[in-house]
Amino acid sequence: MSRVQRRKYILLLLLFLLFIIEGTIIPWLIPGFLQGRVAPHLVYIVILFVTVYYDRHTALILAFSFGMLHDIVYYGALIGTYSLAMGCSCYILGLIFRSHRSPMPLMLIVTLLGSLLFDSIVYGVYLVFEVIHLPFSWALSNHIIPTMFFHFVFALITYVPLRRQLEIIAKRRSLDVNKTRT
Amino acid sequence: MLELFKMLGNKRLFVLLTVLIIFIALMGFTLGSRKELSWPEKFVKDTVSFVQSIFYKPASYVAGFFEDVGNLKSLEEENEQLKIALSHYTRDKAKYNWIDQENERLQTLLQFTEAQKKQYDYDWVIAQVVSVNEDPINKTIVLNIGSREGVKEGMAVSSVQGLVGVISHVSNFTSTVKLATGMDAKDPNSNAIAATAQGKENQVFGMIETYDKTTGKFLMTKIENSKTLAKDDIIVSSGIGGVFPRGVNIGTVDEVQVDSYGLTYTATVTPAASFMDWKELMVVFTPEVEK
Repeated sequence: MSRVQRRKYILLLLLFLLFIIEGTIIPWLIPGFLQGRVAPHLVYIVILFVTVYYDRHTALILAFSFGMLHDIVYYGALIGTYSLAMGCSCYILGLIFRSHRSPMPLMLIVTLLGSLLFDSIVYGVYLVFEVIHLPFSWALSNHIIPTMFFHFVFALITYVPLRRQLEIIAKRRSLDVNKTRT
Repeated sequence: MLELFKMLGNKRLFVLLTVLIIFIALMGFTLGSRKELSWPEKFVKDTVSFVQSIFYKPASYVAGFFEDVGNLKSLEEENEQLKIALSHYTRDKAKYNWIDQENERLQTLLQFTEAQKKQYDYDWVIAQVVSVNEDPINKTIVLNIGSREGVKEGMAVSSVQGLVGVISHVSNFTSTVKLATGMDAKDPNSNAIAATAQGKENQVFGMIETYDKTTGKFLMTKIENSKTLAKDDIIVSSGIGGVFPRGVNIGTVDEVQVDSYGLTYTATVTPAASFMDWKELMVVFTPEVEK
């Protein structure tokens, strides 16, 4: 197994581990007054990194599968919300910011926008299926903006190691593509 | 018209629309109550929950330890209160036993059927929390008991303090709790809970229908008489209707107001449960009716 291959498996494992941590350890770390108002989706932020620095189609598949995992494990009202929201927002952001050379401030803007887009889609789906009847302004001030802040901090912490690893995978891939072309 | 067909030649657009349709169909299909989960859902849920349970327990112990250290000062006061509560309990226990036996005797005299006698014999089964979904709109908790232990959809779940929610979906080894914070009278899939006030069971009747997300309080509607209900009354479920068990603590009355039509009254109820930091919850098993 090549090193790049191994890195890819590690990335998958890391995403799964983050998914587990999201539901078990994070709820204990959120301070009391913010509980019920912050919903960190660490897996989603990592997939946003994948969509910008690696490839948006891979990110789309990852987002669909991990969103579906979330939907099934925490099946409350309906299945498919997270899967759809993660998939759509990852793909759209990947389409807009497709440069692999994106500097750090741009990536942080992507996480902010992505967080906003994701929570808005989730809210929209719940509104359509009559799970919630409150206005969007309530959702915005209640949980979307605090969550954005949390995502921003998480992206800031993981930016350097994550980008380095993803670039190693991406560079290797582009080399392979060139080889097959020539 | 022809241009519309030409647009379908765009492969990406075609795939996008198909995916959208599939998702809307999936959401519509899974919305609301279902008889049973399909096997892939059960498999994924059980395996992931098993891994989560390995992580959740140590985390809760560590967090609990810090909490305990923080509470060290109030321990003495709490001990004093518990001693008083214990003395009340021993006194009430004697009274309760007396009434219980009397009740049983009267039931046999009145020729109650076996099902009628056991109607209120609830089993409170302790379950460990496996993981928590922090989604503010659709908050859910996963518990470590499932259909193998006899959990069924719609069972009430309570913490030590009070009502937490209702079991929404069950797989073999785990079950999902839909929190009471998602209750909404306008939501067709949310059921109301018949409630009454402790000590005034025959005078007060109301329905806990909605959790007001902006204020964090329950709304108890359809109260006929506002004079019977006072501030700080303890609201418990009444069990009328037979689906939801009776005697589950819900909260305390904050204030009573005339509702929007002016016919009945609405009380705002502060929830007894805090809706955070769970370790164990209790699932209320209602007795099976034999046919």
